[in-house]
Amino acid sequence: MTLFDERARLVANAGAGPNLFVATFEAPRLAQSVQPGQFAHMQIPGMESHILRRPFSVYGRNLASQTVDILYQVVGAGTRHLSGISPRSDLAEGFGLIGPVGRGWSPPAATSRALLVGGGVGAAPLFMLAESLKGQGVPATVVLGAQTHAALACEAAYLDLLGEDDVRCATDDGSYGRPGFCTSLATEALDQAAAEGRPFDYVAVCGPEPLMRIVAQEARERGVACEVSMERRMACGVGACLSCVVETALGKKRSCVDGPVFDGSEVLW
Amino acid sequence: MAVNLGGLPMKNPVTTASGTFAAGMEYADFVNVSALGAVTTKGVSLHGWAGNASPRIAETPSGMLNSIGLQNPGVEHLKTVELPWLRDQGATVIVNVSGHSAQEYASVIEALEDGPVDAYEINVSCPNVDAGGMTIGTDPSSVEAVVSRCRQATKRPLIVKLTPNVTSVVDIARAAEAAGADAISLINTLLGMAVDAKTRRPKLARVVGGLSGPAVKPVALRMVWECYRGVSLPILGMGGIATGEDAVEFMLCGATAVAVGTANFSDPASTARVIEGIERYCREQGVDDVNELRGALKA
Ligand SMILES: Cc1cc2nc3c(=O)[nH]c(=O)nc-3n(C[C@H](O)[C@H](O)[C@H](O)COP(=O)(O)OP(=O)(O)OC[C@H]3O[C@@H](n4cnc5c(N)ncnc54)[C@H](O)[C@@H]3O)c2cc1C
Ligand SMILES: Cc1cc2nc3c(=O)[nH]c(=O)nc-3n(C[C@H](O)[C@H](O)[C@H](O)COP(=O)(O)O)c2cc1C
Ligand code: FES
Repeated sequence: MTLFDERARLVANAGAGPNLFVATFEAPRLAQSVQPGQFAHMQIPGMESHILRRPFSVYGRNLASQTVDILYQVVGAGTRHLSGISPRSDLAEGFGLIGPVGRGWSPPAATSRALLVGGGVGAAPLFMLAESLKGQGVPATVVLGAQTHAALACEAAYLDLLGEDDVRCATDDGSYGRPGFCTSLATEALDQAAAEGRPFDYVAVCGPEPLMRIVAQEARERGVACEVSMERRMACGVGACLSCVVETALGKKRSCVDGPVFDGSEVLW
Repeated sequence: MAVNLGGLPMKNPVTTASGTFAAGMEYADFVNVSALGAVTTKGVSLHGWAGNASPRIAETPSGMLNSIGLQNPGVEHLKTVELPWLRDQGATVIVNVSGHSAQEYASVIEALEDGPVDAYEINVSCPNVDAGGMTIGTDPSSVEAVVSRCRQATKRPLIVKLTPNVTSVVDIARAAEAAGADAISLINTLLGMAVDAKTRRPKLARVVGGLSGPAVKPVALRMVWECYRGVSLPILGMGGIATGEDAVEFMLCGATAVAVGTANFSDPASTARVIEGIERYCREQGVDDVNELRGALKA
């Protein structure tokens, strides 16, 4: 895998929900090469006393406009600063994106039906996977969870892509869809599909670790292959510093380049 | 631009700070390792160590804390995978050596004596392990014991890496000199902590970790200056170097060569950029030979 550090221009940075934004970057090389589940290690201009880059998964890419989209949640200094950068400001020119980093989703070639489970902003790194599965004619169903209806930032995009039968939502506050966590929807989807005689044979999960652990467990009990995307604090983002290790059955692995996507049964939770 | 660091010829004064660059393979898309003065590899122990629990890093103002804990797969892996690659690239190689005891340090060196290694850097200064590391590097007699044992194991240049977590870094440097070191490198990371007030938890699983990056540069410069005046060994200076000008500051304080560490994380091409920056400085200042900068501080 060849990595590069691409100078990128912020061309849009729009609110997408409570504390949620979609940033669009003109980044031709990244747009061309990024695979579903990979991320960009972002240098955000104008915050040089914060010396580390921030990792963000690529939510979508547009080959025509040579752009990539990132869905991000404001959680700290970097994301707060990013949310304040206007595409018209001088800072918009100064982004650096190391990419395309990491091992993305790799559904087995024989996958006949896929279940995608995204909690919070974890819905974003699954979107290119949904597009790619659809492109290969593999039916996909997505289960999305968020705190509130307004925070279900990716729902519309998934509805466009998959249609309403294959998009199922849960909200913690019960303001939309199934009240509570989306794990129950995921388990139901697995059982329902099996009962219909069209079982899922691949599950991809991204979100809070407890969600990924539970869904990976449920998939494993049903003998369904499952991949998860592990978030870790990262310094280099290229595999050199060992900041980001994940405990696996095969020893410690680097989330940035050996992951972020791992086989769910390999991770020692 | 060529310098000689205690018997190690370098085509320019810039190497990598151990642990921030692995053995360079991961950075091959960004820098040509053979264009560097040397590549200093991640600390290696005899049979490998698992390192500490996560989270292992925390960002701090103009710096970061790490508690990686010298995770490494052991010297055999280095010999069979990384060293052959570095040799094929034509890189000059400094191997950073770790151990829990004087004997382990020496055993690592003995295992590497038939390998393509140009110099050793003895890490007696890691703050992230319970035995060895900094517990050795804060005590002059332990430093002397480890370095003498390593000296018996090799004729290759021996660089001793010092910790800043001491009252007098010069006392430790003198112990290294007495035991036969060819050069000293400094600084390793400064022991520190970061706390999340909301959760009342430390930001690192190990609670404490080593501070690096621009935040430590003033401390590093001061210690390089003290050692330059206090011992006659050549110095490999490091701590927060991100630009050519930073590197020049270390040389003015007495460093013969410099290492770039944490800066690789924000800009993976930092090492190459620092080399260009030193060249530009020399051109602009009319400096013909980079060696003229050593200790040229007007103080
Ligand atoms: C592979 C990967 C993909 C990611 N994709 C997305 C995404 O698509 N959308 C999104 O909103 N977030 C994503 N994250 C999380 C995102 O990196 C953090 O929310 C962000 O770094 C927070 O930065 P900050 O400066 O606002 O927070 P601060 O707390 O000020 O950051 C301080 C330091 O901690 C690190 N950090 C803080 N939170 C996290 C976290 N949850 N994970 C990893 N490092 C963290 C920062 O990078 C920085 O080094 C991803 C993380 C990883 C590892
Ligand atoms: C993530 C990380 C890992 C490190 N690992 C090692 C190591 O294995 N051996 C060692 O001697 N120093 C290690 N160090 C210390 C650096 O080599 C260097 O001395 C220190 O970080 C100061 O330089 P800097 O500010 O340029 O990073 C490590 C530093 C960091 C940030
Ligand atoms: S972030 Fe450095 S190895 Fe993964």
